[in-house]
Amino acid sequence: MCAKKVKPFRLPRHIYNALEAVVGKRWISEKRAVVETYSKLSIEAASFLRKHQKDHTAIPACVVLPANTEEVRKVVKICNRYKVPFIPFTNGQVFCSTTVPKPTVVIHLSRMNRILQIDTENMCATVEAYVDYTQLQAEAMKRGLWNGGCPLATSLCKLSSQFAFAGLWQTDLKYGQLNRNIVSVKMVLPDGEILETGSRCLPGAGDFWEYGPGPDLTGLQRSAAGTSGIVTEITLKLHPWAGEKSLPEVPHGRPSLQDVHDPRYDAAVPPKNHRLYWIEFDDFESEIKAMREISHSGIAIGLNATGVYSAYYCSQTQELTEKRCKERFFPAWNCYVIIAGITSPKQIDYEEKVLKEIIKKVGGRFLSEDYKRDVLYALSPWNLDWVRHVCGYRMNRRMYANAWLPVGPFEVAIQTQRFWKDALETIGECHITDRGGAEDTPFIYALHRGRFCFAEVDNYPDPTNPDEIKKAVAFSIYGITRLVKEKVGNTLMAFIAVEPMTTMFPEVGPKAYLLFRKIRKVFDPNGVCSPQRQVYTDEEWKQMPQDIFDIVNKMRVFQGMKPIKKEEI
Amino acid sequence: MGKKKFFEKELEDFRDQLWGCARCNWCQNHWGWNVKSAEFSEICPAFHEYRFFAYSGMGKMYIARALLEGDFDYEDAPELVEIVYLCTTCGACEINCQRLQDKEPLKVTETLRARLIKDGVGPLEQHKALLNSIRAYDNPWFQARKAKDRWTKGLRIKKLPKEKTQILYFAGCTAAVDPQLQHVPRQSVELLLNAGVDVGVLGEKEICCGSPAARIGERELFFSLAKRNIALFSDLGIKEIITTCAGCYRVLKFDYKEIPDIAEPQFKVYHLVEYLEMLLKEKRLKFKREIPFSVTWHDPCHLGRHCGVYEAPRNLLKAIPSLKLVEMERNRDQAWCCGGGGGVRSAFFDFAQKTAKKRVYEAKVCGADSIVTSCPFCEQNLREPAKQQGLKLLDITDLVMYSLGLKETIM
Repeated sequence: MCAKKVKPFRLPRHIYNALEAVVGKRWISEKRAVVETYSKLSIEAASFLRKHQKDHTAIPACVVLPANTEEVRKVVKICNRYKVPFIPFTNGQVFCSTTVPKPTVVIHLSRMNRILQIDTENMCATVEAYVDYTQLQAEAMKRGLWNGGCPLATSLCKLSSQFAFAGLWQTDLKYGQLNRNIVSVKMVLPDGEILETGSRCLPGAGDFWEYGPGPDLTGLQRSAAGTSGIVTEITLKLHPWAGEKSLPEVPHGRPSLQDVHDPRYDAAVPPKNHRLYWIEFDDFESEIKAMREISHSGIAIGLNATGVYSAYYCSQTQELTEKRCKERFFPAWNCYVIIAGITSPKQIDYEEKVLKEIIKKVGGRFLSEDYKRDVLYALSPWNLDWVRHVCGYRMNRRMYANAWLPVGPFEVAIQTQRFWKDALETIGECHITDRGGAEDTPFIYALHRGRFCFAEVDNYPDPTNPDEIKKAVAFSIYGITRLVKEKVGNTLMAFIAVEPMTTMFPEVGPKAYLLFRKIRKVFDPNGVCSPQRQVYTDEEWKQMPQDIFDIVNKMRVFQGMKPIKKEEI
Repeated sequence: MGKKKFFEKELEDFRDQLWGCARCNWCQNHWGWNVKSAEFSEICPAFHEYRFFAYSGMGKMYIARALLEGDFDYEDAPELVEIVYLCTTCGACEINCQRLQDKEPLKVTETLRARLIKDGVGPLEQHKALLNSIRAYDNPWFQARKAKDRWTKGLRIKKLPKEKTQILYFAGCTAAVDPQLQHVPRQSVELLLNAGVDVGVLGEKEICCGSPAARIGERELFFSLAKRNIALFSDLGIKEIITTCAGCYRVLKFDYKEIPDIAEPQFKVYHLVEYLEMLLKEKRLKFKREIPFSVTWHDPCHLGRHCGVYEAPRNLLKAIPSLKLVEMERNRDQAWCCGGGGGVRSAFFDFAQKTAKKRVYEAKVCGADSIVTSCPFCEQNLREPAKQQGLKLLDITDLVMYSLGLKETIM
């Protein structure tokens, strides 16, 4: 075994001392064991590779825990003064980036965890950066409201970080993603200035609308992946909640460490005034047709397909996951529909009637007590997971990385399947060979009343095996090149948002990346905020490692695209 | 080769898990479906207090991975020992992580502790003192062996091995020697005798179950205590062991089986609340007196989350006339720890007390006038905060004895 030690950078003392003066001795650390825990991200294969390579630059020099916006501002000012890169950090999934080959400061927002206000009259809530979906929902539901949905892993996902770059929900059909539910943000810009967006930017005007005077600054920050500042407060829209004040208990009680994998503890029932319907189809075309019809009918608050992914979400052990994948336990072509009785319980009856008519016409079958009861029972975690996603993160039991999330009309799901199949055959499969999304439905989220969808396919490499992780990276590069080549919808969210993908595809344009680069320069004149993330500065582009450049170019050529020349961009 | 038992595992055995930690954060948070308020939505006492990831279950996974792969050693990270021992071993991280991810952050933490000891850098000085006491006196509290028998003074109870019985009441070191807790084993035995249970005690012959050694990571000492206990129980022909200590209960019932090359224990283990619930069902306990209290049950981690004893104490409390049982938001598998376990009270008293204060506050918020439990460590650690916040702290035997008419006052 290689016993080479990994020694992180250290900050010069005067900088460390200046940071300590802001947050206090207790809330800053450069201890080796402490900084280690901010070094490998959740779903980013490249960060795992850096750990395998014992890359000391993958570890921050120090971590600070500011208590409020003002402390964040002071920390950022110090970083700018000394040109020290900094990375905002909630939980290490989407808000943060990995460190760069310079002493880097992690600004961990874990102390900023208060719900500042729930305005029931105006149906909105203001929360600090570390508040997660579960916390907000729990408080809002007591008041007959909720925020409209949750992403995969409600606890991992803080609302502020989701605004930075994600926010896909199980109830996107009705409510849209998180970024459609923002009223305003308060943020510390990369140079340490404070920005408030929306109507709250005029003191005393109230916090009710996402637009303020001038260009849409909230929009400019959406999906900026943390490169244009640190969100410290976020105000969200709330919606009527038809269920109880808290989610119903699972009837079979609670597990202990002695029986934690017993499936009965996952046998959840839906909240009051909500019902879930699982439907299977004979083929993909029928599934897509049904999803389109259901979307356009105006019924339901959520519509998604899960296919083989339920083998991860709904299986209590890895062994059971693999068994179910092998046996094709879950229907290959399926979708689930969430109906809510928001106006009246009778709304459910009416919408159910419409749903049944659609399925009768299209030709699907409802899972029920009489038809595939065991499958329906196994799917019961979804009865609560669509509200607060918990069990679903089982997909990350080993590792889940470098997913594809192409977006477009429902047909994009069919294209995704074709491309994914090609990718599996070209690159080879990763750890679990379920071929999820290749021989069954990709995970499909219907968005915005079904005007379009996300069609997700995922990789499950073995995190202990660098070769498999490299494969996952290759899948990403394959995915983006193929999707750009085939002109599939707006692929920005899933791929190009993270460098070097923004810059290495001039097809996305015209020259959009150059405008992004200018915008970044305006916000981040010193290039210190989440460096190398989302949009390279000119300097970062010049310094980009040749091997990464070559890999992407190689894939471009493989896909029949013109190689790019660094000096031309 | 068969599956390895826990106490023979090394960090290497967790390699896949350590690399695979997904940062899902359920090791720090109350299971999402059960959360009722933002205020009580966190579940890891150490992360709640210190806010750096290193103190969470996830943090330990990251640290263990780096240590295992040689990314740093103890010279580079002298803080490691403190971080690893700043954990109450409450298992809140473990239950959520096992349930979701099939991973075991608590087992990793305990294995890290064993490794620190093996490498000569652990445990902390306060823990060394406890362990030395166990070696010298068979209890962690520097008490002479005779002290273990004091609580039985005046009780007409069979003393083993002089007298014979197959049912043993195992008092545990803490309740046996702490004058503020000695009423618990006394009342326990009185309850059992009153119900006609042919129970006996070991008195000064009782030796530590090994729980402190197991939790601190001193495996060899734990193995030796376990082997001595199993041999003693076997020699005496013990078929059933009843205890009121959650720590002893977990160790006797589950941890002994996880020791390599050990004789299969031939006895059944019950916590007193389980035994009393059985007696209640058999109508051998008949509650008479009303207790018009509003009480909440504090699930001791090693009884509830670790071993699954959730309903027995609640069923007992519900059977007491006029008593109202109210639940704290974090209960059963998601209960907030009292803060006293895993060697934390010995080494980090302030942190232990802060954690206990939060639990007592939660009890007050749920509308209880009393917090009831059945674990000597919880009772020790909750005592002062309960007093400060004006809440009654009761052992469940206090209520049961009073309602049965076996004593005149509750406290």
